[in-house]
Amino acid sequence: MTDGDDKSGGARNRAGPVLECQSVERRFGGIVALNGIDLQIQRGEIFGLVGPNGCGKTTLTNAITGFYPPQRGNILLNGHDITGLAPHKVARLGVARTFQNLALFNGMSVLDNILLGRHVHMHASVLRTAGYWWLAQGDETKNRAAVEDVIDFLQLESVRTELVDGIPIGLKKRVELARALAAEPSLLILDEPMAGMNQEEKEYMARFILDARDERNVTVLLIEHHMDVITGICDRMLALNYGAMIGSGIPAEVVADPRVVEAYIGGAHAAH
Amino acid sequence: MLFRQAGILHTNYAQDRALFPIPADRWMIGGLLLLAATAPLYLNSLYLSSYLLPWLVWTAAALGLNLILGWAGQFHLGYAAVMGIGAYAAVHAQRAGVPWEIAIVLAGLTAAVIGSVFAFAALRVKGLYLALSTLALQFVMDWTISHVPAISGGTQATLQAPDIRLLGQAVTSDAGLYYVALVWCVLVTTFMLNLRRTALGRALVAVREKDYAAAVIGVNSFYFKLVAFATSSFIAGVSGAVLIGTFYHAVTPEQFSVDVSIQALAMVIVGGLGSIIGSYFGAGFILLMPGAMNSFISWLTGLFGFSLGIETLAHLPHALYGALIIGFLLLEPLGLGKIYGNVRDYLLVWPFGYVKK
Repeated sequence: MTDGDDKSGGARNRAGPVLECQSVERRFGGIVALNGIDLQIQRGEIFGLVGPNGCGKTTLTNAITGFYPPQRGNILLNGHDITGLAPHKVARLGVARTFQNLALFNGMSVLDNILLGRHVHMHASVLRTAGYWWLAQGDETKNRAAVEDVIDFLQLESVRTELVDGIPIGLKKRVELARALAAEPSLLILDEPMAGMNQEEKEYMARFILDARDERNVTVLLIEHHMDVITGICDRMLALNYGAMIGSGIPAEVVADPRVVEAYIGGAHAAH
Repeated sequence: MLFRQAGILHTNYAQDRALFPIPADRWMIGGLLLLAATAPLYLNSLYLSSYLLPWLVWTAAALGLNLILGWAGQFHLGYAAVMGIGAYAAVHAQRAGVPWEIAIVLAGLTAAVIGSVFAFAALRVKGLYLALSTLALQFVMDWTISHVPAISGGTQATLQAPDIRLLGQAVTSDAGLYYVALVWCVLVTTFMLNLRRTALGRALVAVREKDYAAAVIGVNSFYFKLVAFATSSFIAGVSGAVLIGTFYHAVTPEQFSVDVSIQALAMVIVGGLGSIIGSYFGAGFILLMPGAMNSFISWLTGLFGFSLGIETLAHLPHALYGALIIGFLLLEPLGLGKIYGNVRDYLLVWPFGYVKK
C-alpha cells in the first residue's frame, strides 16, 4: 500500500495492479454492453471511468462486483481471479462500491448503516447474539471504534444517530461513502458520487476522495460525468463508448482526444 | 415529562450500546420485571393462567415470527405449523421418557431442522410467492400430522402431554407453570434485544431493505434468510412446546391450524413489524381483545338495559375487534409499538413540543 507520500499514486507498483480486466466482454441478448475491455488499476491510483450514458460504465462495475459476470475475459483482484464470483464474495475479497442511485438501508440509523459496512470484518451468528455479553460485545465495540474513525474522517458526527431516510441527499452520498470506506476495501468503486450535487458539495466530495486515497490507502475507480472532477483528481482514466474503449491514459490527454470529444459532445462540435 | 434525557452522557461504547442506555428505562424494566415476578401473589389463578400465561407464551412466539417478518422481511404463513412441529416433538420426546428440559430443546431443534429444510426450497422465490409456499408448509404439516397416527395418535386424536418436570420436580401449580412461561418469554425478549444491536440483526435488516446492497457489503442474502428461518423456527418450536406444557396440557392438530398462523401474523402486524414491545402489545391485543370486547358489550347492554339477540351478541365483538385493528393500522401502519413510541416521544419533551424534530 502507498504511504501517502507519493501523491501521484499510480506510478508505484509494489504488488502488481489492484484490479486488472482482461478483454472483458458482456452481452445482453444481441447488445454488446462491454466489448473487450482491458484495464489495469495500480495501487493507490484514482482511476476515472467516463463515457456517455449507456456506454457500459455501470455494466463494467457490475461485472467487477459480480452482479453481471462477463461472458468472456477475466477480472483479477490483487492477482486473484474473481471472474463470476458472487457479489458478497467479491465484497469479502476487498471491493466496496457506492451506487449511482443510493443504496442505503432505510429504517436504520446512519451509525447502523456504516456499521453494516464492517460486516466483512464481523462475525454475525445466532450464538454470538444470544450470548452477547460474552461472545459479541468485544467484536461490536472494536468495530464501533473503527466506524467512529470513518465518521470523524467524513465529518458525519452530527447525523450519527439520525435515521438515514431523513437526511439530505448530499449527506446520504457521504454516508454511503462512509459505509464503503468502513469495509477497508483495497478497491473502492464510486458510481457517480457527485451526481446532483452543487459545486460546494462536489468540492467536498473530491477532497474526501483524495483524502481517502492518501490517508486510508484505498485505490479508487471513479465513474463521473463532471470532466473537471476527472481531470482534477484522477491519475489515469478510461473513456468508453458503446461498450468499447475509445481512449485511456492521462486525463488531460484523453479528454482532448477527438474521439472522446465526439462521443461526448457529438460530431458537429468535434469537427471545428 | 416522562423523564429527562439531558445530562445522560456515555463515555464508552459499552455504555452507549447497553440494552437500556437511559437510567429511567432501566428502572421501568426493573419495575415491570418485579411486577411480573410477583404476579402470582396478587393475581388470582384465573387471570394468571388464562390471561397472563398465554399472553407471555404467545408474545415469545410472536417475537419469533417478528424475527423473520419484521427483521428479515420474509413472509411466513405457516408459522403455527412450525409451532406444532415443536409441540408434537416435545410431547413425543416426553412420552419416551426424555426430561422436559431436553424435550423442549429437541422440539426447537426439530422445528428448526424441518423449517430450514423447507426454507431451503422455498427461499428460491420471493415476496408473495414465498408467502404462498410457506402456506404450503402449513397444509403439508396439517396433513402429515393428521394422517400419520404415529404422530397424532390417530385421527381426531388428542395426545395427552405428560406433566412438566424440571430437574425431576413436577411443575403443576399455576404459579410454577406461569414462571416457566415467564422465563421463556424473557429469554426470547433478551435475544431479540440483543439482535437489535449485533451484526446478525443488522445483516437481517440489510437483507430486508435491499438485497443487492446487502450483497455489495458482503452479506450473503440466502444464508441470512436461512439463518432467520432456522432461528425463528427454533423459537416457534420451543414456544409451541411451552404452550402445550403450560397451557393446553394436550396436543391436537387444530391448535396449530392455518387460522392460528393468521392469528400469529396479525399479532406481529398489529403490534408492529420489527418492534419488540409491539409484539407484546400485538399478542395481548389479539388474544385478550375478543374476550374484553365480549364483556364490554354485555356490560354496556346491562348498563342501558336493552337486550341484544344471540346472533348479534355473537358477532358484534368480532366486528368491533376487526374495526379496531383497521383503525389502529390506519392511525399508524407500524402498529401499536409505533403508537407507543409516538406517545413516548411526545411525552419526553412535553410541554416543549417544538423541541421535537
